[in-house]
Amino acid sequence: MLWRRQKIDISVQSGVTMGVAGSEAAGAASTEAGVIELQGVECSYPGSDAPAISEFNLLVKPGEFVSILGRSGAGKTTALRVVAGFERVSSGYVRVGGQLVGSSFVHVPPDQRRIGLVFQDYALFPHLTVAKNVEFGLKGLPAEERRVRIAPVLKMVGMSGYESRYVHELSGGQQQRVAIARALAPDPVALLLDEPFSNLDRQLRAALRRDIKRIVRESGATTLLVTHDREEALATSDRVAVMGENSIEQIGTPEDVYQNPASAAVAKLIGPCELIPGVFRGGVVVTEAGVFPTRVTTDIHMADGQQALALMRASELEIVLAGEEGQRTSTVEMTEFEGEFTEYSIRLDSGTLLRVRRRAADGIDVGSRVTVHTRGDAKVIVFPV
Amino acid sequence: MNISGVISAGYKSADGKRPPTLLVVSASVVAFAALIPVAYLLIRSIGVGSEWFDIIWRQSTAAVFGRTFLLIALVTVISVIVAVPVAWLTVKSDIPLRRVLSVASVLPLVVPSFVMATTVIEMYSPKGVLQGWLSGLGVERLPDIYGLGGATLVLVLMTYPYVLLTVRGALRRMDPALEEAARAMGYGPVHTFRSVTLPMLRPAIAGGSLLVALYTLSDFGGVALLRYQTFTSTIMIQYQSSIDRTLAAVLSLILVAIAVLLLLGEGFTRGRGAYHRSTVGAVRVSRRINIGRWRWAGAAVVGVPVLIGLVIPVAVLIHWLVRGLLNDQQLLPLLIPARNSLYISLLAAVTTVLASLPIAILSVRFKSRLSRFFERAIYIGFGLPGVVVALSLVFFGINVARPLYQSIWMLIFAFVVLFLPASVGALRSSLLQLNPRVEEAAQSLGRSQWRVIFSVTVPLVMPGALAGGAMVFLLTMKELPATLILSPIGYRTLSSSIWSAASEAFFAKTAAAALLLVLVAGVPTAYLTLRGHSDGVDETDRVDESDSQSPSETAEVAQ
Repeated sequence: MLWRRQKIDISVQSGVTMGVAGSEAAGAASTEAGVIELQGVECSYPGSDAPAISEFNLLVKPGEFVSILGRSGAGKTTALRVVAGFERVSSGYVRVGGQLVGSSFVHVPPDQRRIGLVFQDYALFPHLTVAKNVEFGLKGLPAEERRVRIAPVLKMVGMSGYESRYVHELSGGQQQRVAIARALAPDPVALLLDEPFSNLDRQLRAALRRDIKRIVRESGATTLLVTHDREEALATSDRVAVMGENSIEQIGTPEDVYQNPASAAVAKLIGPCELIPGVFRGGVVVTEAGVFPTRVTTDIHMADGQQALALMRASELEIVLAGEEGQRTSTVEMTEFEGEFTEYSIRLDSGTLLRVRRRAADGIDVGSRVTVHTRGDAKVIVFPV
Repeated sequence: MNISGVISAGYKSADGKRPPTLLVVSASVVAFAALIPVAYLLIRSIGVGSEWFDIIWRQSTAAVFGRTFLLIALVTVISVIVAVPVAWLTVKSDIPLRRVLSVASVLPLVVPSFVMATTVIEMYSPKGVLQGWLSGLGVERLPDIYGLGGATLVLVLMTYPYVLLTVRGALRRMDPALEEAARAMGYGPVHTFRSVTLPMLRPAIAGGSLLVALYTLSDFGGVALLRYQTFTSTIMIQYQSSIDRTLAAVLSLILVAIAVLLLLGEGFTRGRGAYHRSTVGAVRVSRRINIGRWRWAGAAVVGVPVLIGLVIPVAVLIHWLVRGLLNDQQLLPLLIPARNSLYISLLAAVTTVLASLPIAILSVRFKSRLSRFFERAIYIGFGLPGVVVALSLVFFGINVARPLYQSIWMLIFAFVVLFLPASVGALRSSLLQLNPRVEEAAQSLGRSQWRVIFSVTVPLVMPGALAGGAMVFLLTMKELPATLILSPIGYRTLSSSIWSAASEAFFAKTAAAALLLVLVAGVPTAYLTLRGHSDGVDETDRVDESDSQSPSETAEVAQ
């Protein structure tokens, strides 16, 4: 109601008259309810040949918390800026709240999209107090009502009592809370978070992550977060979208993506691991570290004798001192005691390092010859080479 | 797509953003206005035809050429020789009274050339104060102050701060690790300065020298009082003495050509110039170097230009004032010129800052070919001597804009054209420090681009606007040729009334007005210097700063 909805409608209508075929197709696809919807989006920066994102598809449902995980340079911030309206798309469709807001012929400016955006560096207004920052998006309301509206928001982020402070008088974590309050105050259609924790130190990060999860849940806002930190993505979101080079490779619940990565690239992004080469032989993979039972992820079908990459995760492996002859053995090169467990670095004969995480220190020491197994009934995932 | 989108569709910045239409329109108006003087001068001179060659090849023209270049070369070289040690000593060394000297060494900037000239004549002429002191020591007669020597002295004293400010800024921005690396590799302090520091300072020295050269080219009051004829003073004489102003117009065009040559020359010395970029992020402050027993000698090196360029001139003015008051001599009327000067300078400052806003915002936030063109267009004022702008506005006023002619607005117009670069420079550096995400945040909260400019951008660049305004105020206060040519008849300012008394050699009469002028000009200068801004003179910030994208985004785009 604070926002000029009519203007959005006008933009969409003129878009329809300008490009008939395209928008009809878009209209048909938007029957599925998504708060944020990107369909085959391509966006490139002038002066660079390759698009920053291309064939980008994403659908965020009402109330959902989705994270985009990708290494820096993958184009994830670009995707966020496309949704917010700061970048124009060269093809594909962008919908926010069911409205077409971006395509090759429609571009609704950011101020008419009703999107709450939290920037990596917060971008708070240094010339305004906390209260004025949060009120900023409530223009058009009488001053009294604005004050009333911001009180619960500030309370939710735990910043009540700081109304008259200036931004530079706040710590990094507090600034971030204000940034979130500012984004939430106008009751946006969706909340976008761009690497929200990257400017904070490690300890603060974990605490704030939990806070944000709680705040977002409380507010019920549909949220899209962008990060290069796998823990952040896995811990906060309902679904994780893993980005490869400029498009999404896999999307699913954190557990599902972690358990069943669709590709070696996704596996590497979603958790620490080693990928060692081997040969697939009906239910096992034969590698230089040993023979391991396999679990082929749902959409990959492998033939007997096919070259494969085995995904080795430290927590799924176990080592025992080498006993009988004839087994492949490797050397313990280093142990790192990390409190709850000890991490063993195992040097294979080819030079590859495997990491194994285990509890007890049972005489396996630096220099020991060991054999590598899977822990319990764990099975390794294999990918075709 | 909304209507403004359609209109500004033709304007698309390098990163694909489209600025509000009104911003582009207002920037176009400003840039167009800034081009009027040169354009009109060209039109006017083309009509002259073959007389052109006669004027250029006339013997006297060649002589004026020679004298002007000789003066420019001398003033520039000596200014650099004075300013570089002063800059180094005030930034890097531990001389006593460093802070005071640091501010004071910039202040000769506030003394207008025609005031500096009167005090120099009083002190150092063959009948001057110094001669009086020295005659007791058996010195018969000082060399004649009039001519090249005196003109050089006056101009060096008032222009060395330009080099000082640019070099000081560069010294402060320079990463001390470079010098430390040289020291670690076994270079002594002197060798380090010569082989590392000095080469790093070259662009700053070139930039400062350009300001000195352009100022020397355009000065009128100082050279006229010291009877050294340059291009500018020739044009003024031509303009004031003859009915036919064609000669003045042609000479002005030559003056423009010289200014362009100087600008090109500076670009040439800058060379590939990649080393001018300072690294992003906090610059570590280097430790001051202990120069031991040279401390007081160092203080003297900094102090002497301050003494000659500021203390003595002010002392002479005070002396005249006291003597005048005691002897009940007639002083210039103060009240009305002072009021006029303040009014004009304030008006010029406000107008210029307002005019530079759209240009600065476009050039920083919406880079494109068009915004670069706008920027270049307004930098014309940077190279144009005041006399040229004033003359062409006279022609323009008489022939085109009759209602404006002989009004204050014509004068303000000239000041805007002349001082836009200073103001745009200050605004630009303020804008570059402003995180563009802050503006985007405002937009995502539902404000249109146009409203974001007023609710976020403008309040946040206020310091830059104030600095720019202060610069324009100071420059307007001191300006002489344009004030003389364009002021409505009978409209007296401090500078024009000082000039008319001084040019008839009634120096003592000018004391009160000149002191007031120095004081009033000193206020914005002190503000600029104390602000701790690394380059108080933001005119030199016109070097292309690379774009202001955040590192993460640059990385992302680069991929």
